Amino acid sequence: MPQIPMQAQQFLDALVSAPPLEGYLVVGAILFAIGTWGALIRRNAVVIFMCVELMINGVNLTLVAFADYLPNAGGLGVSYAVLVIAIAAAEIAVGLAIVLAVFRSRRTVNVDEVTAMRG
Amino acid sequence: MTVAFVFLAGMTLVSALGVVLSRSVVHSALFMSGSFLGISGYFVMLNAPALAAFQVLIYVGAVTVVILFGIMFTQKPQVRRYRTIINRQFWAGLLVAVGIGAFLAYVLSAEDWGGTEAGNGPREVGAFGRDLLGVSQGAEIFTLLYEVASVLLLVAVVAAIVVSRRKIGGGVDRGVRE
Repeated sequence: MPQIPMQAQQFLDALVSAPPLEGYLVVGAILFAIGTWGALIRRNAVVIFMCVELMINGVNLTLVAFADYLPNAGGLGVSYAVLVIAIAAAEIAVGLAIVLAVFRSRRTVNVDEVTAMRG
Repeated sequence: MTVAFVFLAGMTLVSALGVVLSRSVVHSALFMSGSFLGISGYFVMLNAPALAAFQVLIYVGAVTVVILFGIMFTQKPQVRRYRTIINRQFWAGLLVAVGIGAFLAYVLSAEDWGGTEAGNGPREVGAFGRDLLGVSQGAEIFTLLYEVASVLLLVAVVAAIVVSRRKIGGGVDRGVRE
């Protein structure tokens, strides 16, 4: 069996080791930021809903990462994530119903053309 | 693990950017399901396989299909240039989003979380179910939360029906006559 050099061994160990908690937190934060960007710049209400879902998923990832990495969390973040998914499903049902109602009365789903409440 | 982490990070974040920047709304929805799949892979890595199954069933399955239905009902054919799908706050929104992302990433990674070690999650589905129903020690609040969530889902379904129901003579769908 050939001898593996020290650096290569360290590199392989780093490849198979678990990533740190901060990695998951940063991915969740970036996902949240991308969702924020989309919700700010898009005109279509359905795409805005998708971006809100992205933000919710970023927060879910953070919750589950904490539940797995913090010893005192007791793994309860996973249960909270289930509740968040249920509430997000309710939100998407009601939100799309509102979008459909707006489309029936105004023939558009672009949020900057629905200006009945603009001051 | 690190290979899987980097792969899932690329899949999730590139798909999320695809949701924001793609011209077609249907492509946005499909990119969104790709991003959700990446998140479910993370849930598997974080010792929550049951939650990953929920994620695939609810988000990749149900939410994507409901959103595709919404797109099907509401899209008019329109010119898909960036000027028509993105409002004038492109760069301002990018600035705000980068600020939020940098702030959150800085705070979350600068904080000292104490002794963190992977493997505390409820890997057994039985323990996860006892947590969710509030049976296990320290999780009693979930008995209440579970019931409240079920009532919320019922109310949301009824509200969706009431809000989106077509009134008699109150407008027509595209191409459909009463």
